[in-house]
Amino acid sequence: MSAPLLRVENLGIEFGPADAPVKAVDGVSFAMAAGETLAVVGESGSGKSVTALALTRLLATPPARYVSGAIQFQGREVMTMPAPELRALRGKQIAYIFQEPSSSLNPVFTIGYQIREAIEQHRPEVRDVRGEIVRALDLVGIRDAATRLGDYPHQLSGGMQQRVMIAMALACQPNLLVADEPTTALDVTIQKQIMDLLRELKSKTNMAILLITHNFGLVSDFADRVVVMFRGKIVESGPTAEVLRHPQHPYTRALIECVPKLGQKQRRLKVIDYAGIN
Amino acid sequence: MNAPVDESYSQRLARRFSRDALALTGFWLIILAFVLAALAPFLANNHAIVRVADGQISFPVLRSLEPIEWRFLINVPLAGLIYALRRPLFRNPQRGGLIVAVVVIVVQIALAFVQPYNDVTNDRTRPATFKLMPLIAWSPLESSPDALVGPSWNHLCGTDSTGRDVAARILHGARTSLAIGFVSQVIALGVGVTFGALAGYYRRWVDMVICRFIEVMECFPSLLLILVIIGLSDSQNNMIVIMAVIGLTGWTGTARLVRGEFLRLGGQSFPQAAQALGAGDLRVILRHLLPNSLGPILVTATFGVASAILLESSLSFLGFGMQAPTPSWGDLISEGRRFIDFAWWLVFFPGVVMLVTIMSYNFVGEGLRDAVDPRLQVK
Repeated sequence: MSAPLLRVENLGIEFGPADAPVKAVDGVSFAMAAGETLAVVGESGSGKSVTALALTRLLATPPARYVSGAIQFQGREVMTMPAPELRALRGKQIAYIFQEPSSSLNPVFTIGYQIREAIEQHRPEVRDVRGEIVRALDLVGIRDAATRLGDYPHQLSGGMQQRVMIAMALACQPNLLVADEPTTALDVTIQKQIMDLLRELKSKTNMAILLITHNFGLVSDFADRVVVMFRGKIVESGPTAEVLRHPQHPYTRALIECVPKLGQKQRRLKVIDYAGIN
Repeated sequence: MNAPVDESYSQRLARRFSRDALALTGFWLIILAFVLAALAPFLANNHAIVRVADGQISFPVLRSLEPIEWRFLINVPLAGLIYALRRPLFRNPQRGGLIVAVVVIVVQIALAFVQPYNDVTNDRTRPATFKLMPLIAWSPLESSPDALVGPSWNHLCGTDSTGRDVAARILHGARTSLAIGFVSQVIALGVGVTFGALAGYYRRWVDMVICRFIEVMECFPSLLLILVIIGLSDSQNNMIVIMAVIGLTGWTGTARLVRGEFLRLGGQSFPQAAQALGAGDLRVILRHLLPNSLGPILVTATFGVASAILLESSLSFLGFGMQAPTPSWGDLISEGRRFIDFAWWLVFFPGVVMLVTIMSYNFVGEGLRDAVDPRLQVK
C-alpha cells in the first residue's frame, strides 16, 4: 500500500461528565489510501459518525472531549492544527455529505449561491464561478443545471437536495469525501440512485470515499474495505468480500444477518442478540 | 389555493403579509406618517413654498431648512434612486460601483456647504404678487394672538395656551416621536442581536454570563432607570440621550429571542454543513444563522417601535422628555393636560395621531408574526 492519505491512530473521544465519561470512540485506528473506498459500518451509537466528524475536528468541545489519538491527513497532524489551516482543510481537502439533506442546506439561500460560497472560499483562482457551479450540478446529474441555480432548497425533492449537497462537496475537488449515512433519510429508489451516483463519481475522480452506514447491503458492491464498529471500538476490518463471506466477530455476523434478503422466506426479521456478543 | 413553488422566503413573507388587510393598512399608514414627518416643513410653516414679489420668484421654505434636513431630504431619495436603478447600474459592477461612489461623495461634499439660514420673515403677513403657502400656514414655534381657540379653518386643530398651532406642532412632533421609536429600536436590535447571537452560538459560559446579565437588566424598573439617567445627563441634545436610553434598556427581549432561534437552528445540520465546508464562526453566524432567524426578529422590532413611542410619551408626560420648545406627541399631550377641562383639542388630536401610529405598528407586527409562522395556513 502506498503512503496513506489518512491515518487515524488510537482515537479516543468522550462525552458527558469527566468523572463518568461515555466513551463514544475508544482507541480507533485505521488508514486510507488515496482513491480508496472505506466503509465504516455499525449500529446507531457505535461511534461511526463521531469518528467521521472528528476527522476535521468538527465536534463541538464540549460536550465532546478528544482524549487521545492522532489524525494525520497527507502527513499533517489535524489534532494540533491551528484554526485557519483547519478551515482550509475542511471542504477543500475533506468534504462531507450529511444524513439529512433537507436540513443540511440553508433554507434562505439559493442552491447556486451556496455552491458559489464554497467555490469562492476554497478556489479563489476560478474565474468562471457560474460555469463551475453548473459543471458541479451537471456532474451529479441535475438536468437543466443552469436554470436550477436560482432554486431554493425547499423547491427540491430529498434526492435532489442530496445531489446538491454532493455537488457542493465536489465543487472544491476534495481528496476525501466523507459520506455520513448519505441515503438514510431517502427512500429506497432514491437511495439506489445516490449510491450509483457516488459509484460513478468514484470512477470519474480519484477521490477517496469514507462511507458511514449501518446497512451492510450498501457496502458489498461499493467499498474496497470495511471497518465494523461496535460500542466505540473497531471489532473487525478487512477487504469487503472477505468480511462479508467470513465474518469473524459475532457482531459482524449479526449485522449481516439483519439485512433482509430478497427471495428468501423469513418469518421474523433478525434482531441483534446482544447477550451473545462481547 | 396552492402556494406558488417558485418563490423565495421574502417573497413568501410579502405575499402572506399582503393578504392581511389590517396589517397592510397599518404598513401604509406608517409609510404615510414617515413621509408627512419628512415633509413637515412643506406642510406646516409660515414660509411660503413659492413666492413671487417684485417680479422675482423665490422659494422661502427651502432657505429655512436646517442642514440636517437638507441632508435627510437629499440622501433618502438618493438612496431610493440608487436602489431602483441597481440593475442597470450594476450590470458592470466596477463601473456601477464607481458611479455610485462618485455621486454619493459629490453630494455629501455639496451638503457639507449648506449653511443654516435663520429666516424669521413671516410670509403669511408679508405682501406678495403671488404666494403658495403650506397647507398649515403656521410654524410650530410661532405664537398667534389668539390662544386656546378651538379647531377652525385657520387653525385646523386649534391653538395651545401660547397661541401655537396644534396641527403644525403635531406634524413637527411626528419627527421626534417617529425618530425616537425607530432609532431606539435600531439600537436595541443591534445590542440584542449581538448578545443573543453570542449566547446562542457559543453557549456554555458565554451563554451563562449573557443570560445572567439579561436577567439583571430585566430586574431594573426600566422607566425609573431611564428617568435617573436622563436626570443625570446634562447633554444639550437630549433626543439622542432618550433614544440611547430606550434602546439600551429594551434589548433583552430581542437577545433572548435570537438566542432561542440560534439554539433551535443549531439543531439542524446546515450550520455544521457550513462548518464542514470551511466556514468560520462569523460566517456561520452572519450568513447562515442570522438570515434564518430574521422573521421573528423583525416581528419583535416592530412591536418594539410602538412601545418606544409610547415610552417616549410617558417620559414627556413626566417632564423628562424633549426639551421645550421642540415638540413631541407626548409633550403635546402633557402640555394640554392642564387645559383639558375646556380645550379638548389639545389632548384629542395628538392622542388620536399617536393611537393610530401605535396601532399601525402593532398591526404590522401581528401581520408579520402571522406571515412568519409556517403553521398558520394562508387564508
